[in-house]
Amino acid sequence: LPMAFRDVNARRHIGLQQLSSLALAGRTFLGPLKLCKFIVDESTNQSTLICSAVRLIESLDLTSAAGQLLNETIQAQNKEFKTGMSTLLFLVGAWSNAVVECLQQNVPVSAIVSVMSEGLNSCCERVQCLQISIHDVNKELCSSSVRPNTSKSKTCQTGCDSLPNSQLFLYFQKDISVPEIIPMNSCSHQDYGCNFNKRLVLPLTGFGSVASLVRPAGDRSTSVTSGSGVTTSSCNKQKLTHSRYFSTLGKSLFSSQQGNFQGYFLEPSTDSCECSGLGHLAMALSHGNETSMKLLQSIVTYQQETAEHNGSSQLNVAEIVTCCLVGLPESYSCASPGFVTLVSPEQVTVIKYFEGKLLRILLIDGDLTEQYRHLGFNRPCNVRTIVEHPSLQEGDVWLSIMLDNLIKFGVNLVLVKGNVCENLRERCMANSILLVSSVTWNVLCAFGEVTGTRPVTYLTQLNASCVGSGAQVELWKACDGRAMDLGEHIPIRIKARGIPLLTAVLTTTVASKMQLIEDQFWTFVYRLHHALNDKKVFIGGGAVELLCLSHIQMLIEQPLQPANQNAAKEFHNPWLAASATEYKSVVLQALASGWKQYLLVVMCNTAKAASELEACTSVDHYLRKAADCGSPSAYILKEFRRGHLLGDSAGPFADHKEVLKVYDNVTAKTEAWRRALDLVLLVLQTDAEIVTGPRKNHLLNSLVSSEFMFL
Amino acid sequence: MSRLEAKKPPLFITEPLTADGVSQSLSLLSGILKSCYGPAGRLKQLHNGVGGYVCTTSQSSAILSRLPVSHPVLGVLMASVQSHVSRFSDCGLFTAILCCSLIENFKSLNVAPCTVIKISKHLLSLCMDYLKSEACGCRVAVDFSSVETLLCLVRSVLRSKPACMLNKTEVDHLTTLILKAFLFTVPRHAESNAVLGKCVIVPMKGRRVMDSAVLPGLLIETPEIQLAKPLTVKRTCSDMIKIALFCVSMSGDSFNPKEGTITVHCGISLEMSELNQLLNVGKQLVNDEVGLVVCQKVIHPSLKQYLKENGVIAVDRAGLSLMEPLSWMTGSKPIASTHDLSPSCYGSLKDVCIETFASKNFMHLIPNDTVVCSLVLCNRNETAWDELKRACETAEHVLQLTLKEPLALLGGGCTETHLASYIRHKSCSLSTSSFEDIDCSQTQYQLVTDGFCRSLESVARSLNHDDGEILTDMVYGHCWFVPPGFPFVSSWSDLVSKCGCGINGNGENLKWRLLQGQSGSPVIQDCPKEPLVKVADLLTLDCYAAKCSGLQVALETANLILDLLYVIKDQN
Repeated sequence: LPMAFRDVNARRHIGLQQLSSLALAGRTFLGPLKLCKFIVDESTNQSTLICSAVRLIESLDLTSAAGQLLNETIQAQNKEFKTGMSTLLFLVGAWSNAVVECLQQNVPVSAIVSVMSEGLNSCCERVQCLQISIHDVNKELCSSSVRPNTSKSKTCQTGCDSLPNSQLFLYFQKDISVPEIIPMNSCSHQDYGCNFNKRLVLPLTGFGSVASLVRPAGDRSTSVTSGSGVTTSSCNKQKLTHSRYFSTLGKSLFSSQQGNFQGYFLEPSTDSCECSGLGHLAMALSHGNETSMKLLQSIVTYQQETAEHNGSSQLNVAEIVTCCLVGLPESYSCASPGFVTLVSPEQVTVIKYFEGKLLRILLIDGDLTEQYRHLGFNRPCNVRTIVEHPSLQEGDVWLSIMLDNLIKFGVNLVLVKGNVCENLRERCMANSILLVSSVTWNVLCAFGEVTGTRPVTYLTQLNASCVGSGAQVELWKACDGRAMDLGEHIPIRIKARGIPLLTAVLTTTVASKMQLIEDQFWTFVYRLHHALNDKKVFIGGGAVELLCLSHIQMLIEQPLQPANQNAAKEFHNPWLAASATEYKSVVLQALASGWKQYLLVVMCNTAKAASELEACTSVDHYLRKAADCGSPSAYILKEFRRGHLLGDSAGPFADHKEVLKVYDNVTAKTEAWRRALDLVLLVLQTDAEIVTGPRKNHLLNSLVSSEFMFL
Repeated sequence: MSRLEAKKPPLFITEPLTADGVSQSLSLLSGILKSCYGPAGRLKQLHNGVGGYVCTTSQSSAILSRLPVSHPVLGVLMASVQSHVSRFSDCGLFTAILCCSLIENFKSLNVAPCTVIKISKHLLSLCMDYLKSEACGCRVAVDFSSVETLLCLVRSVLRSKPACMLNKTEVDHLTTLILKAFLFTVPRHAESNAVLGKCVIVPMKGRRVMDSAVLPGLLIETPEIQLAKPLTVKRTCSDMIKIALFCVSMSGDSFNPKEGTITVHCGISLEMSELNQLLNVGKQLVNDEVGLVVCQKVIHPSLKQYLKENGVIAVDRAGLSLMEPLSWMTGSKPIASTHDLSPSCYGSLKDVCIETFASKNFMHLIPNDTVVCSLVLCNRNETAWDELKRACETAEHVLQLTLKEPLALLGGGCTETHLASYIRHKSCSLSTSSFEDIDCSQTQYQLVTDGFCRSLESVARSLNHDDGEILTDMVYGHCWFVPPGFPFVSSWSDLVSKCGCGINGNGENLKWRLLQGQSGSPVIQDCPKEPLVKVADLLTLDCYAAKCSGLQVALETANLILDLLYVIKDQN
């Protein structure tokens, strides 16, 4: 076996150059306003729209070692956070360039490694002061949007002391002087999930402000209006359609109809803040993706309502699934409680027959075919069966046994994790049993939980405890109340009383955009999820990067520390102590250039600056002012609060009169930095590639054969 | 039709070392290994050139196992280094670099190989005697009553692997964890034949290093477990959990004949009868009050369902690597058949609970008295994780070796330069009778000694990868590094602050001299002194046993290669 060996540590480090050229393609994905790319498959002529570093990396040629490591790094970030990949990719490129420049100035590798990694550590510690706890963010966001309402609240709080809480329904729309109230009696009384859906579909046109007007539940006679309820909301075009009190609506709303309440009630504003606090946070984290934001806001509201411990600020990602519908306009996107999936048109009759009925449900965590065996079962190879009386075909025997089993236990609906035998599907359909295939594990779990069902692998395992009840199936209806026929597929909705599962139905008429929409939705879900996990967020809009730049400026200017100052505490490192200080400023500049490039590109992408030069001037201007003011972090916080940071006022939500605050994930961001720097330093420290495997001749004949040595 | 071919005669190569290609390959190999050495070592990317996994490493174990070489001389060298690494884990690069240097240095001497071998063996025995003596100035005693020295040992191992991509805090965190894990594996009540337990590394790729953790007992990944429900386990009257451990597959396919064919009549299902057998096993397990069933392979879903309905927790796919520590920890005998179960096979556990690390769910088995622990090891990407895993295993092994022989050697090149100083001093004061014993002239002895010392020093020199100078002092014989970019000055004390291992400061005038590769004027050397204070605080330390073995292996391998006269190659 030959071994090829290539020296890569020239002044112009090949690995770093590869990284920087790969990263160049991802520049347009930075910032809230992204430019998409078309990926065209030349063999099939199909094209997809991509807008994220992960999809970009998936479609690039990555046979080089550095490319592979980049791919691995991006995938790791994606797996862990689902956000921050574009930042990572960009910084990999920017820092690779900066490090190559350092090499050209003869800075020793060890000095680059130690100064850069310590510089990053120092910056990560420094920017902690720009973290804001979720609690404070909620307070800040809510107070800015609620303030105008609270003053009015007293005026319209009339005679409602006797009101049991949670029997209220809020609806508020600012632009219309007469609040619009959804007629209660239009909702189906029997099913909580159903009437929820009708409202849940609505909020997609706007959300974010806090409720101010309440209509007593039992009053179905008129749409009473109240002028005082209409207040000047700070956010234009925003309306609230439901609150956390919604959850008990299904039960208490209709059970308490005997209560004859009059008048209006306004919630105390602090309460209403809590209820929609996550909604605000979601908006601040959405970075301009309005559709996803509205979807997520309704999901958050629903989850908070169904959660037994009300007010828990957690987002349960496992209870969210997506269903992609190509062919419907994007405005049809909505969140539906339960599980929305696609079935073939033949099954529509069964579904219509089931509508309104409570079904007995069975969960299968494998395939539903004759050949299927559980994972780890090795098929016998040397077993021969003698058939003495040729009679029924084998498959028919299996089919009828399975069908008998299902009928015996009165199963109506089977959710199958894997595939389903088509013959069985047909036979079941004839017997009014609906089989739904390709159901993910967390959906099975969710239905198992609420219906008391345990997933089984084989139908032969069936016993009474395996079959649950209370599931419902209906055709999925869009916001206009119509069922949709997408040609080959029909979307249906499966639900059960109290199921926490929620499906985000994503729609688009452009097929090549579907993936992009789904990716963006999940990125956003995870951004909120991580914010809640971290319990804090960074202030956004470039503030963190700006502080890093100003901090590095300070590190460069600060006098060299005496070598022995920390010697007692720190582990002795004879190679780095002196050489590091020698090259400190050059290397720190290189580190800073990564963030600076980042800011410039974001500003150019969002058209806040016409050119990189203009952006550069603007960043320098802020840096100078921050330095002049003595406390850069205080200055940056102040500018952020005023919404003046980096010409932020014309953000993606330009139509809102008030400046919307933008926040970022803490861990995802700093981890993206760290991973980017780690990759660059890993490649920088590599001085040789060792190619193993039987490809000596290939290498000898290749263009780069002169670079290789053979042992 | 078979094709016959005349047998080719074997190929004879005389004096293989004088061939041009060999010395080129040897210096290439030596260059690769030298460039990897130490905390500032350069990394190598090992890959197959067509995409796929890239291994970034600077560790000898990873490089040597994947470096296919064509020449037998290199093969001999690599095989002996690998066998050293398999026994000691640490000091692989030291051994390999020293061996290459010895070959290069000895080859360039105009002395007959047999004389070189005799002299170098004598030098080796001088070294070993010195390292074993109480007077040895480059070793420190490891005090197990405090953790400081042990932490230094572990930290030195971690820090010498730059591809792990750890910063200072992370190194400290992992150092503590590794030591903690090691202490878990030391039995509490030492008997005469005490055996160390085992630390199982649980991979957690993609996470921050700081999320790593050590837990007593074992973790088995259980993706299907539902967190929401509290775990209820059946306990025996003595409040223990009875555990049955199966190393046979319970997936219901064991009727599968390896050879031959089974013929059955239609209507008879082997699968069903196998399943019934499994369910009988299940029945017995339930009757025997077993609370937890762990299977190395897969459990049939029906059996799982049966066990669950009867309140027995079943965990399958535990994997081969967990079986030994599991049986060790619980005192159970792995059951290899589903046909007869002996109650004596069961073991016991103190508790079972669910642990979650980074969206992965684990069943945590907690024993009564543990010598088994789990190290949940996190690192941000796969290539760095793999490197970190190797480093952790090395560190664990180093601690085990140190427990046997509670000594450590000064690291950072200081042991090498100190030994070289000692040998230089010793060789000057050798009596003429000893030359007669070895059957060589004093000049020959001096030449070989110089080559030997320069080889040792070249190992220390390989720690430096930038352009700076390397010094040694004439008092302690330690190794000092001058950062690159400084002009040659007369007073080195301005440029150096601490020696390589960190034990000496630049306080006194230590009479530094440049450590040069070429043989120059003979250095007159006093016997190097022992450092005044030997506080093992934040020092770079090397494993004593591994380094001693490395020294011996390197010299013996070099001698073997020098002594090669013919290589006979079978060309068929």
